[in-house]
Amino acid sequence: MERHSVRARGGACVLAAFVVVCSAVAARAAAKEEQEKHFKVSGRPLVTLNNIVNGRIEVKSWKNAEVVVTSTSVPGKVSIDAEQVGDRIEINAISLANAAGSAPHEVEANFQLVVPEQTELQLRTQTGLILVEQVSGDMKLQSVAGDVHLKEVSGYVIVKTASGSLVCTGCTGKLDFNSISGSAQILQSSPTGLNLMTTTGNILYDGEFRRMGLYTMNSGRGLVEVRFSRGDSFDLKASTYRGNVDNQASEVLQPDTHSKHHSISSMAKSLLLTMGQGSARVEVSSYSGTIRIVMRN
Amino acid sequence: MECKDVEAVLERDGLSPLALNTREHLAGCETCRDLLADLSAIVTAAKDISGEENPPERVWVSLRAQLEAEGIIREREIATEPAAAPWWQGFAELWRPRVLAMVGAGVLVAGGAMYFSNDHAKVGGPAVATTAPPAATKSAETIKNETGGVVKAPVATLSAGNTARKPAGRTAAAEANVPGEMRESKGELKPSPSELASFGESAAVLDQTERFVPSRASNAVVEAALRENLRTLNEFIAECKARLKENPRDQLTQEYLNMALQQKAELLNAMMESGRSEH
Repeated sequence: MERHSVRARGGACVLAAFVVVCSAVAARAAAKEEQEKHFKVSGRPLVTLNNIVNGRIEVKSWKNAEVVVTSTSVPGKVSIDAEQVGDRIEINAISLANAAGSAPHEVEANFQLVVPEQTELQLRTQTGLILVEQVSGDMKLQSVAGDVHLKEVSGYVIVKTASGSLVCTGCTGKLDFNSISGSAQILQSSPTGLNLMTTTGNILYDGEFRRMGLYTMNSGRGLVEVRFSRGDSFDLKASTYRGNVDNQASEVLQPDTHSKHHSISSMAKSLLLTMGQGSARVEVSSYSGTIRIVMRN
Repeated sequence: MECKDVEAVLERDGLSPLALNTREHLAGCETCRDLLADLSAIVTAAKDISGEENPPERVWVSLRAQLEAEGIIREREIATEPAAAPWWQGFAELWRPRVLAMVGAGVLVAGGAMYFSNDHAKVGGPAVATTAPPAATKSAETIKNETGGVVKAPVATLSAGNTARKPAGRTAAAEANVPGEMRESKGELKPSPSELASFGESAAVLDQTERFVPSRASNAVVEAALRENLRTLNEFIAECKARLKENPRDQLTQEYLNMALQQKAELLNAMMESGRSEH
């Protein structure tokens, strides 16, 4: 009986040791490696980051003439190359998953970039978030399923996603968003021009309309909501084929009497309205979704 | 069947329905699938370009600069007549992937410029092509003729109100125009019969390309997202096509269909790339 107990205790110890060893090996395998690279620049750099594996990209600015790239990935599963030619910095992250024998979708590389305030960006990732804060310069941001968050950016910004959504806060400049099922929210922003297009996503514009600006918002099936203030000045055209135009500001929006009323479709429901002098032009359409016009309190 | 045979078939028959042996080869050959995808993208983009209009001069300047930067052409080579060579050599050059890609990019640039130009012309917004007045003027006149004079020439009536948000490169002349005239250029642009026919053809070309998209990509999460979005687009395209069948001149539907087809072309390209990264 006692011998049996001793044998059982011994077996448990061996099992526990085995578990500890396996855990250590697994932890070592999953341990992420952080790399930091510094690039001195002289002028307005162009930073290109092409991440074809999963992962998020964060870009923030500082006043130094230097780009710092910090990447986090599992060693042996992702290859990260970075090169600098003058003020052009190019970073590529590719998967080594097949070689490492792991499933490719498990492979991830996350990036944190610190760049000068005046920087041009071309960022591409697959599923992670792209976050850009306080950077001024032209940007092209592409993602398949990852969201894009912009805070206080300016320049000509192009955002393309398949299903990722855009949240833009405090942005100026010109913004172009194109997505299949992603949504767009433009908040507390005053872009000089805007072109938002999504097939099934929703659009919310809650910003200023700059004088002489053109603001185009189209959603195939989603809700398009435009919020404005009493002091804004714009001409508004809202069109939908199978949806509704929900004008919740009919008391302040006047019929656009200085426009020629041409419906863009014989079957579409169109509304032509004006606010103030009509300094900006706002064109909103939804094929089968609702268009909502709301005045902020 | 070998790759060169597929090239010969595509050269001879274009993108018309492919024979069984060609399809079998495509199913197992990534290079040929890429070639077909490139051709499909070029054809799709080309359908969107009206044959009656020339792209602005700056498009050609930009394209030429890009080709020179890539080292594909050199200034001297353009200026001098190439040495006599068999005609088929020159044609064969067209099928080199890099040249195809550049030509495709050029067509897409030109197509995008024309689409953007037309799109803004419809609402009287700023035309992109103001740096090339002759081409832009011709474009406006063509629109006027096609619509029986309903739409006024958009270039001549650009509003100063809209010029502030134009990207760099637009002329000061456009900015000098008075506000208010923009509104006169509003109106319904009727599509030409060729435009209407091109929707169906573009959709067919994309459908054909879709059949050759690799069934398994390297990234399952991305693959699932791409497939889901492709399904979404196909449903929306079907809805628009059904609507256009009832009313072929519904402009809102045409615009949404056009946008959805462009999105589908880009999505298929992304799916091809995703499949390629597997290897």
